[in-house]
Amino acid sequence: MEFKDLKKILDQMVASELSELEIEDKGFRLSAKRGGGGEPQYLVSPQPMPAALPASSPAPAATPPAEAGGTAGGDSDDGFDAIVAPVVGTFYRSPSPESDPFVKVGDQVDEDTVVCIVEAMKVMNEIKAERKGVIRKALVDNGDPIEYGQPLFAIDPN
Amino acid sequence: MFERVLIANRGEIALRIIRACKDLGVKTVAVYSSADEDAMHVQLADDAICIGPPAATDSYLKIPNIISAAEITDADAIHPGYGFLAENAHFAEICSSCNIKFIGPSPENIRMMGDKNTARSTMRKAKVPITPGSDGVLTSEDEVLKCARDMGYPVIIKASAGGGGKGMRVAHNDASVIKAYNTAMAEAERAFGNADVYMEKYVESARHIEVQIMADEHGNVVHLGERDCSIQRRHQKLLEEAPSPLLKNDVRKKMGDAAVKAAKGIKYSNAGTVEFLYDESTEKFYFMEMNTRIQVEHPVTEEVTGFDLIKEQLCVASGEKLSFTQKEVNTTGHSIEFRINAEDPSRDFAPAPGLVKWVNFPGGIGVRTDSCVYSGYKITPYYDSMVAKLIVRGRDRNEAIARLKRALEEFIVDGPPTTVPLGQALMNDHQFIVGEYNTAYLEKFMNERF
Repeated sequence: MEFKDLKKILDQMVASELSELEIEDKGFRLSAKRGGGGEPQYLVSPQPMPAALPASSPAPAATPPAEAGGTAGGDSDDGFDAIVAPVVGTFYRSPSPESDPFVKVGDQVDEDTVVCIVEAMKVMNEIKAERKGVIRKALVDNGDPIEYGQPLFAIDPN
Repeated sequence: MFERVLIANRGEIALRIIRACKDLGVKTVAVYSSADEDAMHVQLADDAICIGPPAATDSYLKIPNIISAAEITDADAIHPGYGFLAENAHFAEICSSCNIKFIGPSPENIRMMGDKNTARSTMRKAKVPITPGSDGVLTSEDEVLKCARDMGYPVIIKASAGGGGKGMRVAHNDASVIKAYNTAMAEAERAFGNADVYMEKYVESARHIEVQIMADEHGNVVHLGERDCSIQRRHQKLLEEAPSPLLKNDVRKKMGDAAVKAAKGIKYSNAGTVEFLYDESTEKFYFMEMNTRIQVEHPVTEEVTGFDLIKEQLCVASGEKLSFTQKEVNTTGHSIEFRINAEDPSRDFAPAPGLVKWVNFPGGIGVRTDSCVYSGYKITPYYDSMVAKLIVRGRDRNEAIARLKRALEEFIVDGPPTTVPLGQALMNDHQFIVGEYNTAYLEKFMNERF
């Protein structure tokens, strides 16, 4: 189960005004209850989720926390997933100024595809897509300063 | 003066540094973990860069991300605050090699004073009085016994790489000293990866008195008087005051001079604090350690001297000479700082993070609150549990105590439990009021009352 699937389930739970939900599927179990505040509280077992879920707080955020880093996606404005920066630095779309960009809009990528470089302290960090999908949009420009968790590309997973 | 300073810290000290920068017209860059998105220092800085997830090791301690943040924002200096990377010589070196000024002493100064045993022998060579102790690292049980007998019991065995009260054992006789030696070594190995231990005479009725020094990069060093930090629990300070209520002026002067001598001896620069152990019964003081950073309790020194210590750090780091001479340092009045933490008195003061629904800070003449907390702010469990530093000043100690008592009444938090009731109890305690306390006082007081 990916984080975005969990989010879809919980959003649906709120939309349908369900107060309790339990799902079991292939060694994964989700139990969710809606508290007084209207936000779902949830316990997930047994696998750790890519994004940390605050089990003890009464009103967990529905938006994915940035600590997911480059693996789980944040949401870009268009509703696609986003590939986010796991480090701070400067964004480069190509291996060198003269070469072609690593990826273009419309490209199919898989987990190991290098999509860009974030340069930090003279170290060129190759950023991988970490999932299969189609690149929909570049969210930053070549040479832009990048902070941790910043969305870099909108990706349509498949 | 610097164009832009990056603050490699969070919480109240990040806010404190931003304030001094603004006063000097210097632009500021805040760095923050994803847990600190709503932090005040992030909102008040000119620029803010997210540097990692909540865990400190992945954010506030993540050197590449911090240096990178300085590079992409064109910061020309980094202020490390206290804790985190403030006494990390490696970080100071990296700043230097990236042409970013580290606002603090040199990496050599940090290294030298970071190893407690080396610090002691450096001070011994500089003829600064140190607690009678072993000549260096203890290497055999025979040496341990001989040393302890020569010094006289009780003795304390301490880790060379130590801190935070770990790797320390007190022994009162031959029978317990060998056990203390072996236990201390094992704990030191586990906590610091370094089993080196040394021995000191253990001073039982001690006061922890520290001297603030400030040095520029031209060899000028001054001291700004002492702070009495004896009110501690598990080696954590809770209340500090300046000047020390019981120090006589001649001892005060000797301690100040010794601190300056210590700093000059190692060619120190920027802010530092020399900690002494003061033995009331003999009126003797002994060098304990030197902290090569600005400290949490620096405001009490600011209140009695009138100098902005963070501004001075920035000026000195940018190459300026000290803005005052020793003659111009005059302490007037009395100041007390009480640390208000989000801790539950009914659960042995366990940290109690949570949402601060509403907070009211006290005000009035001589009352200062240094805090990053605001109504609606969530204190997270990832860092320290500090809510605020409540600092008062008065023309004398009684006036300061009265103000602190009144200010604590006005300090209202609708949210996590805090140590405000403990502060109020202290202000009403006879021993505190007459200033007759030592490092054993607070724990005893808390065990009896809470």
